[in-house]
Amino acid sequence: MRKKVYYWTDSEHINKPVISDTILNTGVKINILKAKVEPQEAFLILELFGDEETIKKALDYLSKFGEVEEITKVIKRDMEKCVHCGCCITQCPINVIYMDDDYNVIFKEEECVGCKNCLKACPFKAIEIFE
Amino acid sequence: MKTIKEINEKIKKGDAVVITAEEMIKIVEEEGAKKAADYVDVVTTGTFGAMCSSGVFINFGHSDPPIKMLKIYLNNVEAYGGLAAVDAYIGAAQPNEDPDVDIDYGGAHVIEDLVRGKEIELYAEGYTTDCYPRKDVNVKITLDDVNQAIMVNPRNCYQTYPAATNGREEKIYTYMGVLLPEYNNVHYSGAGQLNPLQNDYNPIINNYNTIGIGTKIFLGGGEGYIIGEGTQHNPPFGTLMVKGDLKKMNSKFIRAATMPRYGSTLYVGLGVPIPVLNEKIAERCAIKDEDIEVPIYDYGVPRRDKPMIAKTNYAVLRSGKISLEVEIDGKIVEKTVKTGSVSSYKMAREVAEELKKWILEGKFLLSERVGTLGKPENKPMKSPITLVKDILSKPPITAPCNISIMEAAKILIEYNINHLPIVDDLGRLVGIITSWDIAKALAQNKKTIEEIMTKNVITAHEDEPADHVARKMSINNISGVPVVDDHKRVVGVVTSEDISRLFGGKK
Repeated sequence: MRKKVYYWTDSEHINKPVISDTILNTGVKINILKAKVEPQEAFLILELFGDEETIKKALDYLSKFGEVEEITKVIKRDMEKCVHCGCCITQCPINVIYMDDDYNVIFKEEECVGCKNCLKACPFKAIEIFE
Repeated sequence: MKTIKEINEKIKKGDAVVITAEEMIKIVEEEGAKKAADYVDVVTTGTFGAMCSSGVFINFGHSDPPIKMLKIYLNNVEAYGGLAAVDAYIGAAQPNEDPDVDIDYGGAHVIEDLVRGKEIELYAEGYTTDCYPRKDVNVKITLDDVNQAIMVNPRNCYQTYPAATNGREEKIYTYMGVLLPEYNNVHYSGAGQLNPLQNDYNPIINNYNTIGIGTKIFLGGGEGYIIGEGTQHNPPFGTLMVKGDLKKMNSKFIRAATMPRYGSTLYVGLGVPIPVLNEKIAERCAIKDEDIEVPIYDYGVPRRDKPMIAKTNYAVLRSGKISLEVEIDGKIVEKTVKTGSVSSYKMAREVAEELKKWILEGKFLLSERVGTLGKPENKPMKSPITLVKDILSKPPITAPCNISIMEAAKILIEYNINHLPIVDDLGRLVGIITSWDIAKALAQNKKTIEEIMTKNVITAHEDEPADHVARKMSINNISGVPVVDDHKRVVGVVTSEDISRLFGGKK
C-alpha cells in the first residue's frame, strides 16, 4: 500500500537524517514530494510505500521527531468555472491531470500532492488547494 | 446542388438534415462526399478559445445634465471614450487601473459580469461644453440599463493557431499559457476539425466556400454576424471579424480568463453553419484533425519570427504527448513531452451541438453572404529594432579567476566600470564582480575573487533585442549583464547606462 503524509520536523531535529533513519529502521520506501526547511521547522510531503505494518512503524518512528498528518483530499476544482481547456495538464509533475476521450479534463484528486502548479496556470481560477 | 433558400425552406418545415462537422467525418468516410452532399443540408462548426481581440461597444444613454464622457471606467477598467458623448468600447485585454488587481479583473471580466446581469460601477469624466455642462458621473449600471451593448470582435476564430514550446532554461508565461523550460511541454490552441474556417476553406482559391460578409453565426450563445475578414487575416490562417448583441448572450459561452502573468482575455464560443450546397463543400467538411498541419514555435525566443521546432497536426497534439527533436546545450536530443490545450475542444463541441439544435428546432435560418472575405494581409510592422550588438561597448574588459581583489578593484577604477566579468583560460564566463562585491569583500574580510563573485550570471547575446535585456535587468534587479557568444566567451557588457542612453540620449 501507499500513504501520503504531511510531516513537520521539530526544530531540534532539523539537522538529523530523520528520513534516512526511518527508511533504515523500518524498511519503508519513501518518496519525498516536497521539502521546505525553515529556521523553526522543516515541512515535507512524503509518500510511503510498504505493507500496512511497515507503514505504521514508519509513521510511529517519524512521530518521534515531529508531527505527522495524513493527506486526504488536497485539491478542489470549481466545475462552474472550469471550461476544460487543458492549461493545467502539462503543469502537473506527477501526471494526475489528463484529458479523457470526451475531452473532459480529469483530476485524479486522491493522488494530488498539492504542489499548486496547476492552480498557478489556471486562467479561470477554478482550482483550490487546501493547506 | 442545393441553394441556401431551399435549405431554409427545409429548416422551416423541420425537414433539414443537420449534423456537426465531427459527425460529418464519419458520414463522408463511409458514404462518400457525393452521397453526403445529397442528403446533408447543414454542417455546424464551433470553436471556444481565448480571443483577446474582442470587445463591446456600449451606449450608456444620456445623464441629466448631460456629460461628454472621455475617460470612462467600468469597475475600474478603462473603456475607450474617444467617440460620441456616451459611447464607449471596452476591450477584453484592458487591465484594471488598480495595480493590485491588474490583469486579475480586466475588460473581459467586465464583459462577463455584464452578461451575467451583475451591477457594474461606471465612472466617467469629460470636459464641459455649452451642450455638455457635466464634468463627471458615477453610477451603478447593469446590462439592462444601457441602450446598446454590441460585441464587435476585430479578430476571432483563427482557422489554425501555431503551437508553442519554450527552449529557455526558465519557465515562461505567455498567451499560450505557462511554458516549461527546455521544451518540456507543448501548448496548442484551436478546434481543428471543428473550426468554422477550416471546414469552409477552399485551398485552390485560398478563400472560403460559403463564409463571407453577412453570414449569420452563433456568437457567445446568441445570434451574430460575420462582418468581414478579421485583422491579420491570412488564409490558411484565416480570421473573422464578428458582431453580436451582448444582451442576448449566455455566460456559458462568454468567459473571462487571466493568462497568468500575461493578461486578461475573453474565451468566446463561436459557431458557423455551413450549407452543404455541393459535393466539394461536403468533402471539405470532412476534414480531420490529422489533416491539419500545425507548426510548433519556440516562444522562448522573444522575437517576432520565432524558430520553428517541428510541424505536427491536431490529432498528435490532442493525443497528450509528442516527440520533439530539440537542441539542448548544443546537443540534439529527442524527447517526448506532454501536450496541453489552451482552448476547449469540449466547449467547441457544445457550440456546434447547440447551433445544430437551433437549426433543427427551426429557430435559426441560414443567411446568404453578401460578399467574400477581404484580401489576406499580415505583414510585419516597420519598427526599428536595437540589438545588443548595436549598443555594445567594445572590447570587453575581463579578468581571470586568479586575480586578487585589489587588482579587480584597480581595474574597475582604471576603466571607470562597475561590472567585471571573470573568465577562464579560453575567455569563457565563470562569474562577475561588481563594485558592490568589492565592498562586500572589505566588509566581510573575504580574500579571493572566487568567494565574492556571482557565479550564476545572467547573460545576454549579441543578437538579442536591447528591450529584452532591459526587461531581464529589471526583473532580476541588476545593473549590468555580460554579453556572451555561442561558446560562452565574453564579448562585452551591457549596463543600465547603455540602456538609459537608448532612451535619453544619442546611441
